[in-house]
Amino acid sequence: MRNPLRPRRRVHAHCDIPCGIYDPAQARIEAESCYKIIEKYNGSSDELLRARCIDIKEERAELTKHHIDVLWHDYFKPEHLEKFPDLHDVCWKASKAASKVKQTTDLEAAKELLGLIDKIDEMWRASGGPEKTRLQAVAA
Amino acid sequence: MSTERGRHRPLSSLVFRTAALGAGVAAVAFARRWLDVVEVQGSSMAPVLLPGEWLLVERRTYTRRRPREGEIVLAADPRERSRELIKRVAAVDADSGTLDLRGDAPEASTDSRTFGAIPVDRVRWRVIARYWPAARAARL
Repeated sequence: MRNPLRPRRRVHAHCDIPCGIYDPAQARIEAESCYKIIEKYNGSSDELLRARCIDIKEERAELTKHHIDVLWHDYFKPEHLEKFPDLHDVCWKASKAASKVKQTTDLEAAKELLGLIDKIDEMWRASGGPEKTRLQAVAA
Repeated sequence: MSTERGRHRPLSSLVFRTAALGAGVAAVAFARRWLDVVEVQGSSMAPVLLPGEWLLVERRTYTRRRPREGEIVLAADPRERSRELIKRVAAVDADSGTLDLRGDAPEASTDSRTFGAIPVDRVRWRVIARYWPAARAARL
């Protein structure tokens, strides 16, 4: 039987879906792919391989940018900006670096992108991201 | 003798019980005009309020004064009126007559940062206590 003390009225301590799973590692993996692909591109004379490298690199760079944007728009909140005044600058630069990696086969650009993602990662860690925005355990 | 007592006792006890029950029902009905109970869904108010907890709410206070900073209140979600939100008053703007409502867990909350300030007259219910789980019963 229904517990008579249980309220019928529900109130929502609401959070929009997607409910808070974030990790800059997602952007980092795509950016590492770009880095490795650029290396392969520069080290090969196989035209087919080089063409495929460009194709895949553009796709991975676009994904990197997407993951950076999600962190920037959805994870970081005004209180994080207070704590990390260069938050917008770093995310903006990282997005731009991802665009550059998409457009070029410049290994330095890919390195710069990885460095910027690491800076985002630092802010994510310092704001408690690993505990708050990853599952700590999954119920069986 | 015993049959006489047996005849009288249930009668007087029945009258008493009916009166007590009637008074109880009347008291609850009367109190329900400004008291109600609600169940929390979602975790944007963690760690103070957790999903599944039962709360006592009242709507008398805000007929006499405005909500104050720090109070936990109920308000219709401006983006989906049928959904009632539970949030904390983070700031009161007396000039515009609006409230900035925030979840206690900013990473897991959709609140005034997303849907903007709420007109003060939309907030009627104030959370006063948690009564379940009993071990966490407390005034709020």
